[in-house]
Amino acid sequence: MNALQRLGRWALGVFERLGRGHVFLLQVLISLPSLITRPMLVIREIFSVGVLSLLIILVSGLFVGMVLGLQGYVNFAKFGAEESLGMFVALSLVRELGPVVTALLFAGRAGSALSAEIGLMKATEQLSGMEMMAVDPLKRVIAPRFLAGVISMPLLAGIFSMVGVYGGYFVGVGLLGVDEGAFWSQMQGKVDLRADVVNGIIKSVVFGIVATWIAVFEGYDAVPTSEGISRATTRTVVNSSLAVLGLDFVLTALMFGDL
Amino acid sequence: MRDLHFSRGSRKIFDGLSLDIPRGKVVGLMGPSGTGKTTLLKLIGGQLRPDSGTVTIDGLNVHELSRRELYALRKRMGMLFQSGALLTDLDVFENVAFPLREHTRLQEPLLRQLVMMKLEAVGLRGARELMPSELSGGMARRVALARAIVLDPMIIMYDEPFTGLDPITKGTIVSLIKQLNETLGLSSIVVSHDVHETIMISDFVYVISDGKVVDSGPADELANSESAWVQQFIQGLPDGPAPFHYPATDYQDDMFGASGP
Repeated sequence: MNALQRLGRWALGVFERLGRGHVFLLQVLISLPSLITRPMLVIREIFSVGVLSLLIILVSGLFVGMVLGLQGYVNFAKFGAEESLGMFVALSLVRELGPVVTALLFAGRAGSALSAEIGLMKATEQLSGMEMMAVDPLKRVIAPRFLAGVISMPLLAGIFSMVGVYGGYFVGVGLLGVDEGAFWSQMQGKVDLRADVVNGIIKSVVFGIVATWIAVFEGYDAVPTSEGISRATTRTVVNSSLAVLGLDFVLTALMFGDL
Repeated sequence: MRDLHFSRGSRKIFDGLSLDIPRGKVVGLMGPSGTGKTTLLKLIGGQLRPDSGTVTIDGLNVHELSRRELYALRKRMGMLFQSGALLTDLDVFENVAFPLREHTRLQEPLLRQLVMMKLEAVGLRGARELMPSELSGGMARRVALARAIVLDPMIIMYDEPFTGLDPITKGTIVSLIKQLNETLGLSSIVVSHDVHETIMISDFVYVISDGKVVDSGPADELANSESAWVQQFIQGLPDGPAPFHYPATDYQDDMFGASGP
């Protein structure tokens, strides 16, 4: 009975948090229009969330692209299809690796920082202080960060894919001697704007919403102690990574699966 | 404030608390740690809701206001948090300017003048470019004070303004609170367990314990209180009506008795 009770309690806790998370998301969405008059707030957050994540995105994109180039070449070479390397690299990046890896890196780099920042603001009474100054922290602190994350993610994913293509080009064409014309023309011919690029962008927008939502909610909901904040940042990274990977399967199934 | 009941979990914090804050006076609320003095301020500010009872400010029942009305009321209230609650990503000037920037559309030169006046009042005009992390505890509290008065509120609430300060800084804060109250004509609520300082600045003092007002009176009369509890609190005796020990089972039993491991 005791184990059953614990299970029930755990489940109730999970659903209660889930409910609170959705109410929170709704409140944030309602606060978004108030940002129209204050674009500077959002721009500053885009800098700290997006621009400061550029380095890790650039470097990771380059290496992922280079690995794709190498693996693709080795395997395509077995049946003489090296020319398809361009298509392979581009499709892998645009459809899957770009949005997914960017979202995972984003959760680790920007998401954890967001949670820690908001959690600390809560612990040091800054949020409470704002409320007493008649400033709604949801509008002033949470909404700009949320919007900044949602805007940054697709841009970062795009940059990731672009750098990755050049990484694959560098290894495939530059080092392994694939024909340059074939590399680009295969890519041009087989990558479809609607089916591949737009779907990739949709994915990254969804991931952006989910990852940033989890990050700001965990921060806002954190127990205002050192331990609580450390748990909140951990939960941000774990939950948003799992959510991104799970959603990726769902989205892929809907977009490319013909289910 | 009338017949306030508030409990957190199963613990009763306020059990029928009533008190009045007269306009233009400094009112001290004293009581030991853990009596919910900060909670009381949060109830006044409408951040928490009481289980029953009312808080009335300037004829308005705080907990019946709509969100918009509550925010309008809060613009007329200043609060000084124990930690200062300065925004760590803004410098001193911007921290003080924050309420102005959020609530008004003042031109930059006028805003600058207002902020400078408030900073001058707390003696920190020279520190305007420092970041909150570069301030000492006392300075941070003075900046927070400047921020609390920047919108010229009618009430200002001080949450433990003297805790953790050296004697000189304490003296500065005491005289600042007194000065501000006299020059700006606002009502002040000082929540504290520092007996000496609170009595020094307050016109009227309430002593709170176990969710009730134990004693109240003009500050200078409190020392003659007949309540044994108030005497213990004022003189700082370790044991008396307020026990030294947290409620526990018998010591002997706990150490050697059947309930032990």
